[in-house]
Amino acid sequence: MTAMRHRFFASTALLAVVVAVGLVAPASGQAQKKYSAPKTPWGDPDLQGVWNDATSTPLQRPATAGEKNILSDEEAEEFQKELAFDLSRDRRDGGNAADVNRAYNEHWMDARRLKITADRRTSLIVDPVDGRIPTLATLPPERQRVRAARAEAAGRFAAGLPDDFTDMSWPVRCVVRTDVPPYLPTIYNNNFQIFQSPGYVTIAPEMIHSARIIPLDGRPHLNKNLRQWLGDTRGRWEGSTLVIETTNFRAEEGVPFQGANPATFTITERFTRVAPDSINYEFTMTDPTTWSRPWTALIPWNKVDPAEQMFEYACHEDNFDIVHFLTGARLREKNGETVGQRPARAVEER
Amino acid sequence: MRSFQSSVALASLLALLVVAPASSHHAFNAEFDATKPIKFKGTVTKMLWVNPHAWIYVDVKKPDGTVEEWMIETGTPNTLIRRGLTKESLPKGTEIIIDGYQSKDGSRRANGRDLTLPNGQTLFLGSSGTGAPYDKK
Amino acid sequence: MQLRRMMVFLGVAGVSILLSLGVPSLFGQQRPQAGQQFPATYRAPRLADGHPDLNGIWQALVTANWDLQDHEAQPGPQPELSGAYAAGPAGQSIIEGGEIPYKPDALAKKKSNFENRLRVDVSDDKTWHALGDPEMKCYMPGVPRAAYMPFPFQIVQGTGPSILMAYEFASATRIIRMNWEQAAPTDSWMGWSRGRWEGDTLVVDVTGQREETWFDRAGDFHSDALHVVERYTPLSPYHMLYEATVEDPNVFTRPWKIRFPLYRRMEKNVQLLEFKCVPFTEELLFGKFRKQAAR
Repeated sequence: MTAMRHRFFASTALLAVVVAVGLVAPASGQAQKKYSAPKTPWGDPDLQGVWNDATSTPLQRPATAGEKNILSDEEAEEFQKELAFDLSRDRRDGGNAADVNRAYNEHWMDARRLKITADRRTSLIVDPVDGRIPTLATLPPERQRVRAARAEAAGRFAAGLPDDFTDMSWPVRCVVRTDVPPYLPTIYNNNFQIFQSPGYVTIAPEMIHSARIIPLDGRPHLNKNLRQWLGDTRGRWEGSTLVIETTNFRAEEGVPFQGANPATFTITERFTRVAPDSINYEFTMTDPTTWSRPWTALIPWNKVDPAEQMFEYACHEDNFDIVHFLTGARLREKNGETVGQRPARAVEER
Repeated sequence: MRSFQSSVALASLLALLVVAPASSHHAFNAEFDATKPIKFKGTVTKMLWVNPHAWIYVDVKKPDGTVEEWMIETGTPNTLIRRGLTKESLPKGTEIIIDGYQSKDGSRRANGRDLTLPNGQTLFLGSSGTGAPYDKK
Repeated sequence: MQLRRMMVFLGVAGVSILLSLGVPSLFGQQRPQAGQQFPATYRAPRLADGHPDLNGIWQALVTANWDLQDHEAQPGPQPELSGAYAAGPAGQSIIEGGEIPYKPDALAKKKSNFENRLRVDVSDDKTWHALGDPEMKCYMPGVPRAAYMPFPFQIVQGTGPSILMAYEFASATRIIRMNWEQAAPTDSWMGWSRGRWEGDTLVVDVTGQREETWFDRAGDFHSDALHVVERYTPLSPYHMLYEATVEDPNVFTRPWKIRFPLYRRMEKNVQLLEFKCVPFTEELLFGKFRKQAAR
């Protein structure tokens, strides 16, 4: 076990990531007795409630996990213990440059993210089988230029020297956060409330307060010339699975996912209530001009304690930091600092 | 025992969990200066329970007797509410010791690396059993 | 013959009486008579739990977002640039009694709000909210302003413990917790909403609103003691009556009430679109902090 631990935790940079192989097949294939979700009064499977998708299982299988797609019970237990320990101990090493990043601790984070998924997978991606995002297609020069510009802007921001508010990402600017599909776990506020009404399913993420109100009546998508940050979604039931498809994304860099091409990008998401307190959320993204093939991830959504709730996440209203970043940059420039002075590590830390 | 965040683990977690478009969590070194650590005792005057960051305002008495107001940046209050904290958990007049790093723009702002009560009790811990004002893990 | 004439007379009289009582179901579309505003005879279809179905996309047509009180047409912020664009229409007060009952010292603040409605200065966190209409800054409008913004909103009502209201403006949302006792854990921009049914009326009690929201572009404001009670009553398949009682002892001498109809958006396949206005405000708020070109 020790040897295994060293092997998998060898890379401290990937400490938070994952571990070994397991013996148990993924839960999703396996029900002995099929759970039958209750129905709303108008006959739709009931997905209502407040759900949480926090997890420490990474989106992509890390290199240290090799080809293992499932952890054993012991490995899972050990990984979670190590993670919890590592995130909550009092680290004072690394000097001030490392220390400055150790402000606000686990108390501010979603405790549920210290756990991996119940089925103990080593990645949220289930297809392709290597658990990794497929290779990037060769991008045309214009898209490469846009990506490079975005990377440079991110570098300036990470170095504390943004030129302008446009050097900051859409989440930092509070335009969108977790609410753009696909829904991915993050460090806090991993909550979604599902509302159902006749002919609609509505998903309200906590960050940032927007709701996707999804018609189920078979109406067509908006015309192509109406583009939205969250796209335009239409839904239908396939048995007890809600299948939703989203198109009409805006073309700003970073929307949709990782700068995929809105003209050719599609995302299909599926919601299946597999237990009273669990929904399987699965998404498949396709963009032949961005990825060599479609890819799919499966993320369990867990019902939260009924006493827990969604709370408003206003963002832009009190986003003082935008000014702090910019005024800090202006002062540093005055003092003669430039981006090149920052150690490369600063970029990684971002 | 104090507890806090491992920057490397956090960064890697973020890199792998918070997948692009882009992380909403920014590295603190983009805003706060590692070369300007601060540590002082202050009195809480108010706490702004706002997103994306809550702020603790403290009055700090300098050696010459003048009082400076400092603003300490913290995390999302939504998590605190879910942990059972209320606005009464850090009332006006509470004395705290702040350990952190000053804002890069030189203003009286800092990220709160450690927040400690004068009796040694630390605030906003990730582990239980220290008297921190929350009751859920 | 006399009998028949009598019966015809009675029949005509009867019809006249019925018409004057305003019974639309018998006689088709009925114009409201002068002075009669909101007939209360409509019974909305029900959801499975027996409550009226308020689902749908609704929008106000009053111009209260410019000014809750009587207002004449007014030029926009920069008429020398935009002419009649962005100019404001005239409108009649939606307030019972016509005027907001400000305490005398509060009127000075309304006046300064109005004078500063187009100014912003976010260089100091402590005065971040001191200037400018929050609508202009794309801040969530709060309640009741969200109900009379010139944008649609959608009511998502099932048979669960909460109702969602989603507003096109800034993609703001709020959750109406039905029959809920817990008070607001902290203040929020859209407030803490607790709902209940009184007959066919959805009553929503809103507390815990951020003090920085305004009621309109005229600078009408409140403190953090604001308490709003809304009433949503279906009037017809196409109209819903919106009423709100506003109270704030720090600012007003007594509670006051607003009232106007909401109209159902009827277009085929109508849906809320996005008005994510944050990008429209960044230059205004943050432009002055950018790196200046080297001289």
